[in-house]
Amino acid sequence: MEVVAVAVLAFFALGYLILGGADIGTGMMLPYLGRTDQERRLVLTGIAPFFLANEVWLVATIGLLAGAFPELEAVVVHDLYVPFTLLLFGWVVRDMGLWLRGRVDRRAWRAVADVAVFTASWCMALGWGALIGAVLGGPSLIGMAAAAVLFGLHGLAFSALRLTGVLRRRAELGLPGAAARFLLTSAAVAVIGILAGARLEPAGMAADRASLAFLLPPTLAVLPVLMAAQAWMWWMFRHRVTRPSYL
Amino acid sequence: MDTATLDLARLEFAVTASIHFLFVAFTLGVATLVALVQTRATVTGSPLHWRMTRYWGQLYVINYAVGIVTGLVMELQLGLNWSGLGHFSGNVFGSLLAMETLTAFFLESTFLGLWIFGWGRMNRWLHLGLIWGIVLTAYASAFWIMLSNGFLQNPVGSRVVDGVLRLTDASAVFTNASALVALGHLMGGALLTGGLVFAGVSAWQLRGARHGDEVVYATSLKWGLRVALPALPVTAWMGVTHFDVLEATQPMKSALLGDSAEQALLQGQLAAQYGPDQYVPSSIGTIAAYLMMFCWVLMLLVTLVGLAGRRVRLRLLTLALPLPFIALLAGWVFRETGRQPWVVYGLLKTGDALSPMSPLALRTSLVVFTGLFVFLGVVNYWLLARFARRGPDGSALGVTSADPAASIPHPTF
Repeated sequence: MEVVAVAVLAFFALGYLILGGADIGTGMMLPYLGRTDQERRLVLTGIAPFFLANEVWLVATIGLLAGAFPELEAVVVHDLYVPFTLLLFGWVVRDMGLWLRGRVDRRAWRAVADVAVFTASWCMALGWGALIGAVLGGPSLIGMAAAAVLFGLHGLAFSALRLTGVLRRRAELGLPGAAARFLLTSAAVAVIGILAGARLEPAGMAADRASLAFLLPPTLAVLPVLMAAQAWMWWMFRHRVTRPSYL
Repeated sequence: MDTATLDLARLEFAVTASIHFLFVAFTLGVATLVALVQTRATVTGSPLHWRMTRYWGQLYVINYAVGIVTGLVMELQLGLNWSGLGHFSGNVFGSLLAMETLTAFFLESTFLGLWIFGWGRMNRWLHLGLIWGIVLTAYASAFWIMLSNGFLQNPVGSRVVDGVLRLTDASAVFTNASALVALGHLMGGALLTGGLVFAGVSAWQLRGARHGDEVVYATSLKWGLRVALPALPVTAWMGVTHFDVLEATQPMKSALLGDSAEQALLQGQLAAQYGPDQYVPSSIGTIAAYLMMFCWVLMLLVTLVGLAGRRVRLRLLTLALPLPFIALLAGWVFRETGRQPWVVYGLLKTGDALSPMSPLALRTSLVVFTGLFVFLGVVNYWLLARFARRGPDGSALGVTSADPAASIPHPTF
């Protein structure tokens, strides 16, 4: 049963790092990809329908940590108070920038929102780098630099798949094969996630069997529904961005 | 752990939870009304009801976005500041929180993205199904959260093994009266909130006498009052019923509304049972409970006057807008301060749940997040007022024009 719990936890954590990493990376590259106000709006339209549905993978991961691995949550969250707080702060600011950017039709308002999305995306990437670096036992600066490069490239590859025209060319960096590069950066993100996850040895810290028996069957039962809803969303918004949406 | 740090951590959680809950109450109530209005619009094709859907949907979406981020901070704060709670009760309490994220919030957010960005890009019945999916998953969230909170109030279905709680009877957790009666009370309060938001904002707009949209506001006002009226007795009935639950589970909390002799008697009993400590909670709970009931009476009067259709009703309904929010927060203050000094009633004291952390880290996070939330609360209120004033044509939802400029909302002032 612990093996199933670890597999479900890894599924949601890796799902977040790959999907959420793409929209964090896009936010990090916002001033490079979008040079004008309208261009930046289109760049954000590329992640607009997805970022909320991406971050719930992390919410589910935290929920699973609290429910199926309470001891591990205490270790991870508490021992890494500072990077977690950085991450959380970035998360809040970034979401607000994204959600509220289009709500006031003033240049200054959108500029503030763009700065919020850009800096908070960096804040989140560096927070993740510090966290994963600390878990892997390396110096946190190296972890932060690695996360920034990896998320940045991942976001560019994703944007190259989502945008058109000059924005797409900027995201492609003059290289062909954006889809292949996206798969490559996704794989790199996943490998690092798996290494860090294995280092935490979650199997030994699982909740007792009664709790897992309470939690896991309903989780496995709803999993196909969750994945169907996600698949529907990705299918619905699969087309490249040609005009701005709600954000 | 010194009491100053404990008080700071409690304050931070109280601020986060209170601000978050303002958004939750708005979301639960207003989403239900938006779903009802969209159903009417989809079935009849009436342009009036489509305009209402877009108007209220826009306010709902603005509010939801800020609600999410405050919720994230709240959930992570449990792990950051209250690791003792996770250590002691993670097997049960943590499982319930996990069920909320997996079976409710995950779907709610995915559906919401589809509802917002898929507007006009899919079959309208499918789109209607999405808003109902959002409402039902929001209710499911409330169910799991109240089960978790009810468990802390009255930890049934479990026992302590090696200093850690173990789940022994899941059905007892699901039928916990401390959770279910409170859930009924809260859902009544949320629908009352949604109804009074519809009525209050509409009354405010009608007083301003904007041309052209009067029928949108007059109809919304009627819908709001029709939801508020039945929600009032349900809320009161569940609240009164909950006092019976308290008599059995937390006599000291119900004694907060009794006399001091009763409190002294209970203090003696609890001290004998659990060892010496202060078991009489702060009197702030008493004040909060009476404030909540007072607000309820005012809301009843305003709703009745509103339905009677007197001229004064527009002013009264506008003034009544803060009442449901005050009542809900006061109710939570009563519920949460009234169970102190316990975090898991009878098993774990609040002071023992606190993470070992430096007062500096705590003070920094308190200042940073409280400052951020107050700022976001003000921005949210300002945006809500702005879009409420703009009317249905100011909504950015469902704008499907091919012209990029047309999808940017135009300011009206």
